[in-house]
Formats: sequence, C-alpha cells, structure tokens
Amino acid sequence: MFVQTREKVNNRSILFRKILGKVLPYLVAVLAAFAAVGLVIGLMGFNVLKAYETILFTSFRTPNGIVQTLLKFVPLMLQALAFTIPLSTGKFNIGGEGQMIVGGIGAAAVGILFADLPGYILLPLVFLAGILAGAIWGLIPAWLLYKFNINEILSTVLLNFVSFQLIDFIASEVWKDPVAGHPTTVPIGEGGWLPLLVDNPPLHSGIILALLVAVGIYIYTNRTTSGYEMVVTGANPRASKVFGIDVRKMFMLSLVIAGALAGLAGVIEVSGYQHRLIKDFQSNFLVLGLIIGLIAKGNNLAVPFVAFFIAILEVGASAMQRTMSIPVEMAYIVEALILLFVLLSDRVKIRRR
Amino acid sequence: MDFIVQLQSFLKLIFIYMVPFVLASQGTMLGGRTGVFNVAQEGIMLLGSAVGFLISYNSGNTLLGMLAASACGAVFGLALAYFTTTLKMDQFVVGLALFFVGFGLHTLIPKLALGITSVLPRIATLSDAPVPLLSQIPFLGDILFNQNAMVYFSIILSFVLWYFMYKTSPGLEMRSVGENPMAADSLGVNVGMWRYLTAAFGGALMGLAGAYIPMVFAGTFTPNIVAGRGWISIALTFFGGWSPLNIMFGSLFFAGVDSLASIAQVSGIGIPYQFLLMLPYIATLLVMIFTFRRSRAPAFLGKNYDREKRILT
Repeated sequence: MFVQTREKVNNRSILFRKILGKVLPYLVAVLAAFAAVGLVIGLMGFNVLKAYETILFTSFRTPNGIVQTLLKFVPLMLQALAFTIPLSTGKFNIGGEGQMIVGGIGAAAVGILFADLPGYILLPLVFLAGILAGAIWGLIPAWLLYKFNINEILSTVLLNFVSFQLIDFIASEVWKDPVAGHPTTVPIGEGGWLPLLVDNPPLHSGIILALLVAVGIYIYTNRTTSGYEMVVTGANPRASKVFGIDVRKMFMLSLVIAGALAGLAGVIEVSGYQHRLIKDFQSNFLVLGLIIGLIAKGNNLAVPFVAFFIAILEVGASAMQRTMSIPVEMAYIVEALILLFVLLSDRVKIRRR
Repeated sequence: MDFIVQLQSFLKLIFIYMVPFVLASQGTMLGGRTGVFNVAQEGIMLLGSAVGFLISYNSGNTLLGMLAASACGAVFGLALAYFTTTLKMDQFVVGLALFFVGFGLHTLIPKLALGITSVLPRIATLSDAPVPLLSQIPFLGDILFNQNAMVYFSIILSFVLWYFMYKTSPGLEMRSVGENPMAADSLGVNVGMWRYLTAAFGGALMGLAGAYIPMVFAGTFTPNIVAGRGWISIALTFFGGWSPLNIMFGSLFFAGVDSLASIAQVSGIGIPYQFLLMLPYIATLLVMIFTFRRSRAPAFLGKNYDREKRILT
C-alpha cells in the first residue's frame, strides 16, 4: 500500500518533470526574447509595459480580436505543417508561399469559371482544385529531387518567385477586377464561399477544417505505417533503405503532402476570407510558418499551439503599430529571437541525410 | 547601326547586373570551401540593401554605405560560424534563422530610421568610372571599361580569389578544410579559424552585394528589393562548380537572363511581362537540372567538424 502510493507519487513527479523539462526552455526563450525587445523599445522611448500589454492581450479583449487571431491562426498552422512534414523526412520545404498562392489561384479559377453552380457542387470543387494545384506545385520540386537529385531548398524557393508573377498575371490580366486599385480578381461565385461559423464578427468554418487537418496529420505520422516510414526516413535514411523503405519516394510524398496543405491554406483564404484572389494575399505566412515549425522543433503536435501563440503576437503587433506607432516588425524580431533561444536551449539536431 | 548600339547597351547591362551575383556567389563559395554552407544570402543581401541605402543616404557617401553593409554581412557570417563551428548546430536551421533575422531587419530598420512612411528618399546612383585609354576601344571599350567601380571590383576579386585558392599555400590549406578537415587538422591546419574567416568574409561579400542593388538599379530602397537573387546565387555557386573563375563566367549567364527580362519588360514583345519576369527563376531551375549532378561540391559542404567524433559518412 505504502509502496504503491510512493510509486504513484514518483510517476506523477516524473511526468511533471518531463512536461516541465519540455515547457521550461520555451518559457525561458519567450521571456528572454521579450526582455531583449522590451529593452530596445524602451531605449527608443516607448512605453514598454503598454507595448507588452497591447501585444499580448489585444487578441482576448474583444470578440473581433479573437476572430482576427483565429483567422491568422489557420494559414499559419497550415504553413507550419507544410514545413514540418517534409522536415520529418529531413527535407526543407521553403516553397509554402508559392504552394499557397497556386492553391489560391486554383480555387479562384474554379470559383470564377463555374460561379453559377450551387454550393454543394462548387464548394468541394473549389477545395479540390486548390488543394490539387498546391500539391502539383509541391510535386515539381519533389520530382526534380527524385529524378535529378536537385536540392529541394533551392527549387522550392525559386518556384515561389515564379508564383508571384503567376498571381500578378491572373489578378491583373486574366480575371482583373477593373474597379480595384491593387491587382485583384473578380469575386468567386457565392456557392464557393465557406459557410460562416459566427456571423458577427465573421468567422468562417476554415478553423474547424484546419483543426481536423492537424489531428489527421498527427494520426498519420504517429499511428500509420506510411507515416511511420516517413518519420523513420528522416531519423535514419540509411537504415530505412536497408529495411526496404523507398527513401526517395518518401521525400517525394512528404513534399507533395506539404504542397497540398499549403494549397489548402490558399483555398481557405480565398473561399473563406477574401472571396476573391488578391495579389500578396499570402502575406508573410511562409516565413512565420517556418519559424513556427522550427520553434516546435518539427513536432506536429506542438505546431498548433505554437501557431496560436504566434497568431496572438501578430494580431497584437499590428494593434501596437496602429495605437503606439511601434513598427509591426518588432513582433518579427521577438519571434526570431524566441526561435534562436529555443535552438540554443538544446541545440536541436535535425538530421539531414 | 541602331542594332549595334542596342547590343552594346545590352552587353553593358549584363555586366552591371552581374555584380550582385558574382559577389554573393563568391561569398557562398568561400564559406562552402571550408564546409560552412551559408543559406542566408537572401536575408543578408536584404539587410545589406537596407543598411547600405540608409547609411549612404545619411552620409551622402556610397562607399560608407557599402562598408556598413559589408560589416553587417560579416557579423552574420561570424554568427553562422559560431553557431555551426563552435556550437555544432545544424547549418541549414541556423542559416534559415539568420535569413529570418535579416529579412525582418530589412523592413524594420528603414521604418525606425525614417518613420513609418511609404515614400522613401532617393540616393545618388553609382557613376561610371571609365578606365583611361581602354575605354576608348570601339564597341568593347564602353562595355568593359566604362562601368561603375563595383563591376571592376567584382571581376578583380574573382581573379584574386582564384590566385589565392589555387596558387598559394594558404589557399591550399583553406581548400583542404572543406575537403577533409580531419586530414587538415592532423597536419596542423587551424580548421576552426578558416571556417570563421571564410564565413565572415563571405558574409561581408553578401552584404556588399545587397548594398549594390539600391545604389545601381533603383536609386531607392523598396522592401524585397533583392527579389530572390540571393537564392539564385546559391544555384550559381553550384553551377560554377565552387571555383571562383567559373562562378564569374556563370554569373554572366544569370545576369544575361536577368537583364533580358528587364529589357523585354520595357520594350514589350507581345508576351505578358509577368512571364518574362519568371525567366530568371525558370532558367535557374533548368540550369540546375543540367549541372547539379555533374557539379563537384566540396566534400565536407554543410557538415560540422568535431575533432572528438568519428565521422561515418
């Protein structure tokens, strides 16, 4: 009896320590990053406490703040997953931006061409087209890697720049909205709009979709054979090869899945939020997604939590620029510093080849 | 006659566009030749463009701007060397992190210095510095010897680097670090010093490459002004087989595509200009298909050397 309780206590304290050991470096990193940036803001003559308060609590003060945060969270999390999944095989996908843009183009193309179709046909078509387009944009570097052994960092980045021109062409030539000043397409058919969860302030149902994807990805990588093979490939490509896993196919698969996820992010922006294709709609989601993925150390389960935190910072930072005229990029420096401190805290070693 | 004048100005433009490619790629090559693979070019160049622009705007001296940009680049190179050589962290992860920092600072710094404004001031662009006598040669003189000083600098630098690496004994030492650091270490070569030195110098060249862009192309700074040239220069380094002279010649090709796109955009030849602007990136992808397999990269590229560890690969 006595022994049992002691064991229980022991177990609990071990678990507690384990969680603490995982969370503590993050806490320290966040605190250190905030302290460093606070020092800079203070030296520039701004009110540091008010800046902290704005950046951390804007998201929770009003319903609009919460909705803004969730709207940011969806593409951020999908972009981060589009980075971490190839990372689990040891490949770096820096092409999430292009994949998101092309996904948005695919969604907008179907939504504009078949604008008159009823929702129950058009909406699935819009999603299918966008996800497929993103997956194809991910397939190109995957194929180049498979066939010619071309470094995926370079090919994915270069395709981003190709997609910038592609969206400019679509939005200012093909389906140009003549009224808009910025390159923008005409709106997609109403059947292609994602239904709203909350009407005012408008929150679309993309958040549910994104969470389902996050759960699905977790189950895939942690509970299925194919997902396991993918993770093993990253952990030790040589051993995986010996045990009969087609390593190069796994690289390819991971990049295509990543493309589909980033494409989905594009679809959700078009179908749920903008209802049209706007040039530069991809914002800085790619870089933030990479930061989230690296802060989460490639752990798919941690990605949604980190993404939510970064979404809070981003919403807070734009409020900070509006009300205190502190440049919004300060949040970016905070995020980069958090990443640096997390990296330093245990020198993650993500194996490459 | 008209055609010849156009051809002349096109060829002249290629050399002007060549400079950032040469500088950034030689920087990449230097670090890579000792095993430090920098993938933060784009970030360092963006930061260099912002810093170079602001300093030369405030001081009215472009040289000062370039020096400041190089110093920023050198700091980034040192940071990369510290995290990878001393702390043995993954080179790609650190490189990406440095790219983020450079990318963030390049829009933050102008905002802090000039306030949150969309109208940025202009700076004087680099003027042509004709070489006496040589610039009088018909046709070629104007192309080769009537350029801004950075064109000469980038060409001379390439030759100097080639001479240093292949004709001097410290150059041999440096190359050995990137091929087989264990052997080099056992012969008394200071592996760590070489990695720090080349990473810092390489970073400085990347910063300089970034500073050149607003000083020549636009005369002003806009966010994302580097437009992927940093990433392209990684491909160019592979294309040039990690050797200084081949990189210089290879950069002529990339600069050619770049200037072709910009000329065709202005003159308009029926194709939507967006597709012309895609050319440099698509050309780079195609070039990689044909050269990546044959390109001989330094054997220890992207790896960290740990004296106390056996290396299996």
